[in-house]
Amino acid sequence: MTTDVMISASGLTKKFGSVRALDNVSFEVRRGEVVGFLGPNGAGKSTTMRILTCFIAPTAGSAKVAGRDVFEDPLGVRRGVGYLPQRAPLYGDMSVQEYLKFTAEIRGLDDHTFSRRLGKVIEVCGLAQTLGKQISHLSHGYRQRVGLGQALIHDPPILILDEPTSDLDPNEKAEVLRYIDEIGKDRTILLSTHNLAEVEQSCARAIIVSKGRVVADGPLDDIRGKTGHVRYLVTVDEQHGESGHAPPKAIELETALAGLAGARAVNELPTDERAHRFELAADQAGDLRAEIFRLMVAKGWTLLELRRDAQSLDTVFRELTRGEQRLDAGRSAEVDEDDDVDDVDDEPEADSADTEDKE
Amino acid sequence: MSPMLTIAKREFRSYFDSPLAYVVMCLTFLLLGLAFFMYGGGFWQIDRASLQLLFEYTPVGLSVLVVPVVTMRLIAEEKRSGTLEMLITLPVNDSDVILGKYLGALGLVMALVVATALYPIAMFGWPWNLGVLDTGPVWAGYVGLTLFSAAAVAIGLLVSTLTESQAVAFFITFFVLLILWFAEAAANQVSGGLGDLLTHVCFQSRLEGFTRGLIDTRDVVFFLSVTVVALMVAFRALERRKWS
Repeated sequence: MTTDVMISASGLTKKFGSVRALDNVSFEVRRGEVVGFLGPNGAGKSTTMRILTCFIAPTAGSAKVAGRDVFEDPLGVRRGVGYLPQRAPLYGDMSVQEYLKFTAEIRGLDDHTFSRRLGKVIEVCGLAQTLGKQISHLSHGYRQRVGLGQALIHDPPILILDEPTSDLDPNEKAEVLRYIDEIGKDRTILLSTHNLAEVEQSCARAIIVSKGRVVADGPLDDIRGKTGHVRYLVTVDEQHGESGHAPPKAIELETALAGLAGARAVNELPTDERAHRFELAADQAGDLRAEIFRLMVAKGWTLLELRRDAQSLDTVFRELTRGEQRLDAGRSAEVDEDDDVDDVDDEPEADSADTEDKE
Repeated sequence: MSPMLTIAKREFRSYFDSPLAYVVMCLTFLLLGLAFFMYGGGFWQIDRASLQLLFEYTPVGLSVLVVPVVTMRLIAEEKRSGTLEMLITLPVNDSDVILGKYLGALGLVMALVVATALYPIAMFGWPWNLGVLDTGPVWAGYVGLTLFSAAAVAIGLLVSTLTESQAVAFFITFFVLLILWFAEAAANQVSGGLGDLLTHVCFQSRLEGFTRGLIDTRDVVFFLSVTVVALMVAFRALERRKWS
């Protein structure tokens, strides 16, 4: 069992001056797992990753990567890891091929192994067109691919990727996530992000950190279930009712859904003109789907979609990390339902835009 | 190839990817030529088959122009752009990074120093023969220049590890080397222990012997010590990121 643990952090604490960036962070990642490392900016994701790659040392605690201790054998740790730091900082004055060759040389790959691996990396990361181009002329998406490429060049068993999709446009994001899926088939990946959709897409397990502490760790379903609520998604036709019945107005539908026994909260979700879409939170114990169906039949409304799942990761994430954010804003730690849903996501975007400008 | 040499090679080659290396080299040779042949009558005024002026002016050019420009970006730029994290998280020791960067920069400076050999070759060998050159002081002069460059580049590298700004690194290196060069002149203005210290660390007076063909062990040890100490402090400064 122990040999299966590829990354283990125990009691990691890091202080920058009087600021505690990490506070007793412990977790394990097993062979073959793709784990999302989630948290708002400043939660300690990058700090943790820098400790795992021996760029900085923890103030207290220890970590083992690929069975090697970060204090005792930093070179061994780095040999077993492919690491992509935030925003893929590469040498702009080199061409893609020169850069990959440079990292391969430092990693001690001989020419034969390098050309074999290069072929694979080109294929997986889609770099065939850009090999001869200078890195400073590449778009962010391509730089990120080159960053992934250098992390893969020595075929490492472990990949540590720090926000591989930040700064990218949606198409590039999808591409990079596809590469990660591809790569992740036979590797252990720890992937940090503040974008929840990405975690849902590419990871089976997530570790959520907030203010330097792990606030949740487990399979996504468990994390979703953490608040004890389930969610029903109900989509109803807005333009046509069944056999002569009038289609529902949003308010009618909302009232009807809220009237169901066990319903806790009803939220309208944005859609186009053709349908109403509601999110209904209810206790985990029961199942309201039959009730909802009967309601639709009784009213003569056309049910387009009905789905029951655990609460959205988004909501859980916000609940787990919100208290800290509110303290930052100088408000009380109590959860305020009117709080802007996008709070968590907006900040990082603005932040990365800033850095881009500087570059 | 060891990681250190790979880093050195990359560093050396990257100088030629920007116009900087070319500009600095051209400017240095232009200024050196002007100073050597024209300034105060220059070489012609001395009217001896001596290259003493070459060994007096080259280190000044290296101090105020070449070394600060060549070393300013070494670590500072990597810190600013974040590439340092990428570099250090490859399987390299911090010492590989420091020594690799050092050798890359020293390589460029030495290429310049070696290129000044055009003077003795062209003037006293082929195509011109302006007299019989006493080769002893020339060899000693180059030994001195090499030791001086080693120390100056180490100081520049050290300064570059202490800041994230190339401009700051340039000016600090510039002033440190300038002060070390003119330390003896300054020493004459102050008395006591400080004056002695300034005389002791003056690069100019340390190089004087070499220029006259005299290789003094004390001077050799001085330059080597400056080099080693600067590199060690640079290493510590780079390592400090782990704990701060």
